[in-house]
Amino acid sequence: MAKIAYYPGCALNERSSHLDRSARDATVRLGFELDELDTWTCCGAVPPVSEERVMNLVAPSRILKDVRDSGRDILITICDFCYNTLKRTNFIIKSDEITRKRVNAFLADDTPERDYLEKDDSLWEDYAGEVNVIHLMEYLRDELGYEKITESLKRSLKGLKIAPYYGCVMLRPQNEIQLDNPENPSIIEDFITALDAKPVKYPYRTECCGSYLSVSSPDASTRLCYRILTSARNSGADAVVVSCPLCFYNLDSRQKAITEAYSDFKPVPIFYFTQLLSVALGVEYGRQGFEKHYVDVTPVLDKIGISTGKGGEE
Amino acid sequence: MKRIGVFVCHCGINIAETVDVKRVAEESMKMDGVAYAQDYIYMCSEPGQTLVREKIVEEKLDAIIIAACSPNLHESTFRAAAEEAGLNPWQCEIANIREQCSWVHSDREKATSKAIHIVATIVQKTRLNESLEPIPVSITKKALVIGGGIAGIQASLDIADSGYKVILVEKDSSIGGHMAQLSETFPTLDCSQCILTPKMVAAGKHPNIELMTYSEIEEVSGYVGNFKVKIRRKASFVDWSKCNGCGLCMEKCPAKVSSAFDRELATHGAIYVPFPQAVPNKPVIDKDSCIYFKTGKCRLCEKVCEIGAINFEQEDQFVEEEVGAIIVATGFETLPVADLAEYGAGDVPDLIDGLAFERLLSASGPTVGEVRRPSDGKVPKEIVFVQCAGSRDPERYKPYCSKICCMYTTKHALLYKHRVHDGQPYIFYIDIRTGGKGYEEFYHNAEEEENIIYLRGKVAKIFRDGDKTVVWGTDTLTGRNIEIAADLVVLATAVVPKDSTAELVKKLRIQTGPNGFLAEAHPKLRPVESINSGFFLAGAAQGPKDIPETVAQASGAACKVISLFSRDHLEQDPAVAWVDEDLCGSCRICISVCPYDAREYDEEKEIVIVNEALCEGCGSCVAACACGATQQRNLSDSQIKSMVTASLGGV
Repeated sequence: MAKIAYYPGCALNERSSHLDRSARDATVRLGFELDELDTWTCCGAVPPVSEERVMNLVAPSRILKDVRDSGRDILITICDFCYNTLKRTNFIIKSDEITRKRVNAFLADDTPERDYLEKDDSLWEDYAGEVNVIHLMEYLRDELGYEKITESLKRSLKGLKIAPYYGCVMLRPQNEIQLDNPENPSIIEDFITALDAKPVKYPYRTECCGSYLSVSSPDASTRLCYRILTSARNSGADAVVVSCPLCFYNLDSRQKAITEAYSDFKPVPIFYFTQLLSVALGVEYGRQGFEKHYVDVTPVLDKIGISTGKGGEE
Repeated sequence: MKRIGVFVCHCGINIAETVDVKRVAEESMKMDGVAYAQDYIYMCSEPGQTLVREKIVEEKLDAIIIAACSPNLHESTFRAAAEEAGLNPWQCEIANIREQCSWVHSDREKATSKAIHIVATIVQKTRLNESLEPIPVSITKKALVIGGGIAGIQASLDIADSGYKVILVEKDSSIGGHMAQLSETFPTLDCSQCILTPKMVAAGKHPNIELMTYSEIEEVSGYVGNFKVKIRRKASFVDWSKCNGCGLCMEKCPAKVSSAFDRELATHGAIYVPFPQAVPNKPVIDKDSCIYFKTGKCRLCEKVCEIGAINFEQEDQFVEEEVGAIIVATGFETLPVADLAEYGAGDVPDLIDGLAFERLLSASGPTVGEVRRPSDGKVPKEIVFVQCAGSRDPERYKPYCSKICCMYTTKHALLYKHRVHDGQPYIFYIDIRTGGKGYEEFYHNAEEEENIIYLRGKVAKIFRDGDKTVVWGTDTLTGRNIEIAADLVVLATAVVPKDSTAELVKKLRIQTGPNGFLAEAHPKLRPVESINSGFFLAGAAQGPKDIPETVAQASGAACKVISLFSRDHLEQDPAVAWVDEDLCGSCRICISVCPYDAREYDEEKEIVIVNEALCEGCGSCVAACACGATQQRNLSDSQIKSMVTASLGGV
């Protein structure tokens, strides 16, 4: 089975381990394996590319360089923040020669072989952006092909109406990320269609969930999430699907605060796209980590007859 | 040896500040062949020219060099002065010591030395210059106008009225263009059709205008005064010579095609005229929508046509014409709403563009002038107008201002208030630009008297919510975000060149600018001419403009054509390539490198000759010629060699 270099990132290692596990389960059923890097560090989660400081690019560059040095040229990520950080770091390294040299000077300074390098720099090869950073969903769309998913379905999600939620960093900035049109995207809609479910179009699918405001001004995030979820619900969605751990946290956990603040609010279950994928590919219900969700997803899956009760395996 | 005079201009301080002009004159005197040298403060002034003329006679000069500004500016001035004093104009040369020296340097010593070298170089050229005579070129006194909008119509009428023949080619079946779609025109609110249709009829009936509608330019060859044009007359499947325009065929046609003229707000049959006042008022069959062409059955139009004008066998015809000048007036279109992703990418039903709103306002439009929204035909009570939809947005769309939108949006809001008294129009704008006679007053009246709410800010997003179209924007004057649940949204989409313009300019071999609009020869002083001689520009194909400006430019272009035709023949600069017939090996490399098709193989002489009328004197063939048979007049190999030597400091 093909192994593809995989960078999980901090969230998937901890709080969002169910995103990680469902992704691994699903991809194996699709014929390839997410091969976690032997060693990896924090990517920096967006701040590296949000201001022009070379130092900030060192950590993500080191991750990319390690992938290249292991002889691979594709790196899959799932978390939108990791994807954005790594892909944009790579873009800078590729397009800005001066920054590339400076970052590599830091990287070289930091290697255990440093003493040898000083004597013989032929041992060193600058990292020049050779690795292609790919979002798992991008891999499914462009490399595997959504039609392959449809062919591999073990359970039908027919009858489910799913609202895609894009968040902010998966698609922006467009000229660097080039995954889809950030103002009018379709990659998640097409993914939902590939699962035999029905994508729901609603105006708030590309609006901000509050991101880190959740920490500094939770009320603001509560208001934003309320608008997103209500818009999705009003458009007939049974659930919302996301790929970003922070979006998931805001949209799911924040529903407690939303329910307290807005009397008309009705909870909306949130799924990671990998959970829906893995359910549809027939992975055992109990492996999805649904118990970690604040809003119970059981009623949604009950609707199409895939519930805890049956929980069973193919 | 030739006696050469050198005249060094100070150009006020433009040259004299950086170049020691007196020293340039002194050093010039020391050069071989220079018999006289003098500096003067403004050589192009009348006293300066008099000095030149007098010295030519007094000093018995055979040639003169003016060391001054670029030859683009005053070469013709001084050649005329030289001619008055009895010299052949080609014995006058310009040494450019301003643009190529004083303006670009600051070190006076080095700049002076460079100016002396420049003069020395031109002295070398002048020593070997021959006296030349201009090449006479005949003119076909017939104009081709491409595009039958108001620009093309006006230009055609002006040329035709002055007695010259015009062929007016329009790709649609009727002339009229976008102006025919408009309701009322700013700032006077006269009915667009009422002022346009008399001109359409006049163009249709003018004895000097040959209308070729439903036709496109296929090929263009030749040069100013003598163009050859091949025109494709598209098959209309209706014999226009028989058709009396009764309209029965259109009534009976069972097909439904959404009307481009009505901006998809209405339908017509597969056989149709775009609008009732069409000129010529003859229908065409849209082959892609015609049931007979699609299924092989129907031919209902043929059955009802009593005079047998329908002809399904018709094919495209090609006609060839000779013309002396070409006016390009291909007009504009607007950026498709579908291109604007943040505004719903064309998926929001009650979101239309400005031209569609014109059709809703038009008395001859699909709603007979009542403002009714497309989704359910309801009269909208709140309308949001969004300006700069795709304009002034260099990062995502077009960097330029589309110029007409501020005025037409104000007009839209005003006309809407006139039709729906309790309606509320909102206008989102970046700046209100009302440069034009009576424009600011028009805007002021609308803002103060008509209760139109102007919101200064951009719209971020537009989407459908229930039966409302929701607009998110910002009012930068209050610093607040604004959400309006509107009944209808009208986008003032960017004015862009027609798609077909890019294809056409390749055939014409004329230039466009960075945004695809036709490029003028000089942005201020030659705004109606292309850089390629014989081509003239009119209307929005050259850049966004309103009707008054378009008409003015069209008349300007027509005037240029008339002035061209008023001459007996044209004079072509004789400083072009020529061929030493004994040396030519007829390898024909010159033919492949010539960008102007000026080199052709002469079967009789068995050499490659130069068509002097086409040659622009670029020198490509001279450089390419392997046996040195091709030379350029007054820029021969020996001249160039001695010029190079002089420029490097040798003699």
